[in-house]
Order: sequence, then structure tokens, then C-alpha cells
Amino acid sequence: MNAPAPMNVDFPVKPEARPYLDAFEGGVAQTAQIEPGSIVRHRRHGLARFAETGFPTRRSESWRYLDLQPLVRDPLLPAPAPSAPVLRAMGEHLTGLLLPGTGPRLVIVDGYFAAEFSALDMPAGIWFGTISAALAERPELVDELAREIPGDGEHPFRALNRAFFAGGYVLDIAPRVKFDNPIEIIHLGSGAAAGSFHTRSLITAGEGSRASVLEVYAGEGRYWRNDVVSARLGAGAELARTAIVEESDEAVHTGQIDATLGAAASFAGFALAIGGRTVRHEASVAMLGENARCRLDGAFVVGGRDEANILTTVDHRVPGGQTRELMKGVAAGRGHGAFQGRIIVREDAQKTDAHQLSRNLLIGARAAIDTKPQLEIYADDVKCSHGASIGDLDEAALFYLEARGIPAGEARHMLIDGFLREVVETVDDFATRVHLLRRLAGRLSKLE
Amino acid sequence: MMLEIDNLHARLLDGREILKGIDLEVAAGEVHAIMGPNGSGKSTLAAVLAGRAGYEVTEGGVRYQGRDLLAMPADERAREGVFLAFQYPVEIPGVNNTYFLRAAVNAQRRHKGEAELDAGQFLRIVRAKLKLLDIGDDLLQRAVNVGFSGGEKKRNEIFQMAMLEPKLAILDETDSGLDIDALRTVARGVNGLRAPDRAIVIITHYQRLLDHVEPDRVHVLQDGRIVQSGGKGLAAELEERGYGTFDEASGDGAAGGATR
Repeated sequence: MNAPAPMNVDFPVKPEARPYLDAFEGGVAQTAQIEPGSIVRHRRHGLARFAETGFPTRRSESWRYLDLQPLVRDPLLPAPAPSAPVLRAMGEHLTGLLLPGTGPRLVIVDGYFAAEFSALDMPAGIWFGTISAALAERPELVDELAREIPGDGEHPFRALNRAFFAGGYVLDIAPRVKFDNPIEIIHLGSGAAAGSFHTRSLITAGEGSRASVLEVYAGEGRYWRNDVVSARLGAGAELARTAIVEESDEAVHTGQIDATLGAAASFAGFALAIGGRTVRHEASVAMLGENARCRLDGAFVVGGRDEANILTTVDHRVPGGQTRELMKGVAAGRGHGAFQGRIIVREDAQKTDAHQLSRNLLIGARAAIDTKPQLEIYADDVKCSHGASIGDLDEAALFYLEARGIPAGEARHMLIDGFLREVVETVDDFATRVHLLRRLAGRLSKLE
Repeated sequence: MMLEIDNLHARLLDGREILKGIDLEVAAGEVHAIMGPNGSGKSTLAAVLAGRAGYEVTEGGVRYQGRDLLAMPADERAREGVFLAFQYPVEIPGVNNTYFLRAAVNAQRRHKGEAELDAGQFLRIVRAKLKLLDIGDDLLQRAVNVGFSGGEKKRNEIFQMAMLEPKLAILDETDSGLDIDALRTVARGVNGLRAPDRAIVIITHYQRLLDHVEPDRVHVLQDGRIVQSGGKGLAAELEERGYGTFDEASGDGAAGGATR
């Protein structure tokens, strides 16, 4: 065979997408031998979508607060699997990132499953493992995972992820099975080579089941992590999913979770974005069954020249849904944070009860925060509200602490910590909550 | 001398003069009460002594244990042993009451060159103080003053005072709006602190706290000046006759009393 020529395609290609097309042609020949044709078709479909749309620009409303130019100028192509020595060296990076104890755990390094750090044993009724294991045992779940998520046209990186996903996990909880220990997924970047990590995962929570997932994203060096998680909650299912984004100082992180909720299902999403040069975390929830409940809470802390965006969309399609959102932001130095919270209440979604609150602290004159609540209400019998505030530290509270002898700098830290703690304390699971607070304290101690 | 206030003038940033020449000396071991009607400058005096921003001292000065108090920032005054019990304690969401108090106690200990208390040592002292003051421990695990009733906030102030063991305690209307139980807690806290090496200044509108805490001296503050000083009997006299009648009867230079 000849050396691979530039890929011939019958669709328009944006110039910035070209390197990824070429990389795909190089890699897919290998995976095609081990993957079923249906998965390869999903990949090609995703690639075509991405090639057509190219990189998102600031003209797109949901990307307007993020600077992606460095990524366009200097492409980060999908990374190869890490070598054995690189993997071995990752052990020490795990310390501190893990919950205490020995619960189920799946570790991913540079986008690929790392068996040596993982513990996948699960009680009966829960299937938890890698995509390749699922291909053998639960192929229907992999087909679901690789499927197009509606709206990929506006989410070019989700389409790119569909073309390139390597690692990721599949978690299936059978109906009525309840598992309260948090299931940990640790995503690491080794720093061994600059590249992009495309991980794609699926959680299916059967009718009346209950589970909680903690995902941690951390690493070293320059890389781009592009993570997609889909969650399907059956009727009455309860799922809590917490994400801690503490990527390296040079990293780009684009992560998102899409959840669909059956009747009376309950989803609690929490995101703490405390590290990474450019971070975008998006949670989209669609209520498909009546009387579903959704909580989306979280916080970002930016300093230096970091950028963090948290975006949420909750789509109330049917009656009786309830949404609660509390999002907090702290920006110091020349950091820039943004929250965009969209709540859609469709015509049929009567008796929707939705409340969103965005509270922000601006520390330092050169930091910036944007907050944009977006309520689109088409039903007439609903209760919806939102609020947003951006301010400095409370002078009266500062004086109160100083009047007790606490030095001014320490007093400021206490107030910032307290401000963020309020939202972390909404997390139900105790171990997860303690872990979040510890990671947060570590971040705040370095805040300028 | 614990506290020497000499011809103290202070104004708000908008230029309104509130304190118009306060002279006051408080010796170690003494309890002084400063009484006066609303707007007389009582709370401004407390704020200036504690170092709150928003006031400008235009004349006079304050010495604390012989040192220039006004030259110290608020946090240093506190670590040096000045304590202000707030009239309106501030709610601080997300900051745990115990954690806050331990930070305050340890800041003071560091300042004095003493070792910091670990969580266990600190908690033992907390338990002892709570028992002494007959306060429940339900306030400990809550955020500082958040959702506290008026009485709980004032109890919390007194508890902090007991933990920090100040040299000079200034109580700004700590007795206002309290039921009799909370008032007794406050009185227990103040009486428990009385010591030969401490001074206490009680700023109040009413006499009721003074039924439980016997002052050595009582001062009447009127329009930014101390217009009369006397023994504990003066408080009862004020309670009976009111500040207005007192002004007319006192005739010792206070302006404004005759305007009614």
C-alpha cells in the first residue's frame, strides 16, 4: 500500500480541522481491525461533522467567553497510549487525588485505561469497565456511547470526540440496584507528550437505581483534554456526578456531560473548576419524563491568566420538573471566569419549578467575571427565577474577623473559603464533600 | 492606665462630626458604663476604639496601656487585647464558628509568642468556657452568626470574649433586645471577666444590664461629649428621669437638652 495521502472526503473541510482528518486516517486503519464496523461508522460520522464545523469561534454564543486561538494555531493531535515507564511514574501523581479507602476506581492516563491503578470489582447488578471490555460483554452499550448526541452541530468538539475516543468508561446500574459508595474515575495527563485526550463515557442508571460518581481531571504539562459523558437515567433513578477539574497550568480542558432524565428521576451534577489554562465545563440536562428533579451546582476559581467557563442547560420538556442551580465564581489576578446558565421551559412543561443563582467574587482589579442567566419560558403555569451578583469581599465581615485579631490576609482567605464552602456543602456524599474541600483549600492557598 | 481618651474628636467621611471632645480614663480593674440617648455618639466611640474604617479622628488621641491605640490596625488592637462586642454581629456564611474562633485564638497566641492550640486542646477550653457561661454547644457547628437569633448572636459575642480574655472589653449595646436569660448570660460573661488586670466599658442605652453588672463609674454621653460622670447611682437616676429631663436638671454644659 502507498503511504497515506491526504484524506479524500466528499464534504467541506475547515482548514483548522485538516490535521485531525489526517491523523484520523493514520489511526483508524489500526482500530478498524479490532472494532466493529458500526463503531467505525460512528467515528467517521463524527469526523465529518467536525470537519464541516471546524473549531467553535467567539461568534457562537456558547463559546464567546473562551479564547481558543492557541489551540487553532498550535494543534494538539490525539495522543498515543502512554508507554509502560510513563504509566509507572503516574503512581505518585495519584496521591492526593484519590478518595480515602478502596472503592471502585478507574484510572485513565493520557486518554487510555490504566489497569494497574484501577479496581473495577462491583457488586451484582452493576457493570463497570472500559469501552473495550464493554465491546465484548455489553456491545449494545458501546453502540449507545458512540451514537451522535443531538446538537453535535453546535458542539464541534463533541463530534471530534466521537471520531477519536480511545479511553472512557461504561457504567450500567441495573434497575433498583443502589450503590452509595462513590465510584471514582481519575483522568490524568502524564505530560510525556503534548496531545489531545478524547475520552467518552456512558452511564445508564436503570429504573429506581441509585449511584454516585466522582471524576477527577488532573495532569502535568501541555495537553488538551476533550471529555464527553452521557448519562441516561431511567424512571425514579438517582445519580450524583461530581467533577473536579484541576488540570495543569498549560492545559486546555473541554468537558461536558449530557444527561437525560426519565420520570421522577433525580440528577445532581457538581463541578469544581480550580485548575487549567483554559477550562470549559458544560452540563446539559433534558427532562424526558414528568416530575424529574435536577440540581446543578459548582464553582470556578481562576487566577493568573486562566480562563474558566461553566455552562449549564436544563431543558424542561414535560410537566412537573424541578431545577435548582447554585454556581459560584472567584476570579483573582488576571483570571477570567464566566457562567452561562440556560433554562428552557417548553410549552408542555407546565408546573415547572426552576431556580438559578450565580454569585461571584472579584478579587483584584484586573480579574473579570461574566455571568449570563438565560431563561426561555414558553409555558404559562411555571415558577422560574434567577439571580446573579458580582462583588468584592464584604467589608463588614472583613472588619468583624479583624476585630477578633485575625490578620487581614488570613481574614480575606477565610471569607473566600467560606464563600465557596457554601456551595460545596450542597454535595450529599460525605467523603466526596471532604475531598472537594481539601482540594479547594489547596487551590486557595495559592490564590494571589 | 488601661485606657486614656483625651479630647477625642471624630467625624464621618461625609464630614459630619460625631465625637466632639471625649475625655475618659479607665483604670485596670474597673467597669465603666457609658450611657446616652440614640445619636449621642456611643457606637461611634466604640467603632473608633476598635478601628473600624469610615471614621476620621480630627483631634485628640487614645492611649491603651500607654501606647497610641489609634496607630494600630484593627487586627493588631484585637491581638493586643482590645475586644469589641458588636451591637450587630456580622453573619459570615460558610465560615464555621469553631474554626473562626480557633483562628482568632491562635492569631492572638502567635502574637504573644505562644504555641498554637490544636483542635483537641482548643475544644477542651471551649467546653470549659461554655459550661462557665451556661451556653449550649449548638452554636459551635454553625456558620458564624448565620441564622442566629438576636439573643444567640449576643451570646456568641460573649462566648468569643470569654475565649479571647481581653484586657479591655468594650460592649456596644450588648444588652439591647435581649430576653432575661440572654441578659444573664451576658452578665455572667462580664462578671466572669472582672479582674484586677482588666477593664470593661459597657455602652448602653438602658440600665437593665447594670442591675446585673455593677459599674464602678457611669458616664453620660450627649451630643459627642461626656456631660456627666458619677457612681453607679447615676444609672438609676437616668433610668427614672430619662435623658431629656436629666439634661435640663444637669445643667453642666450640655447643649440640646432645652430644645424640646
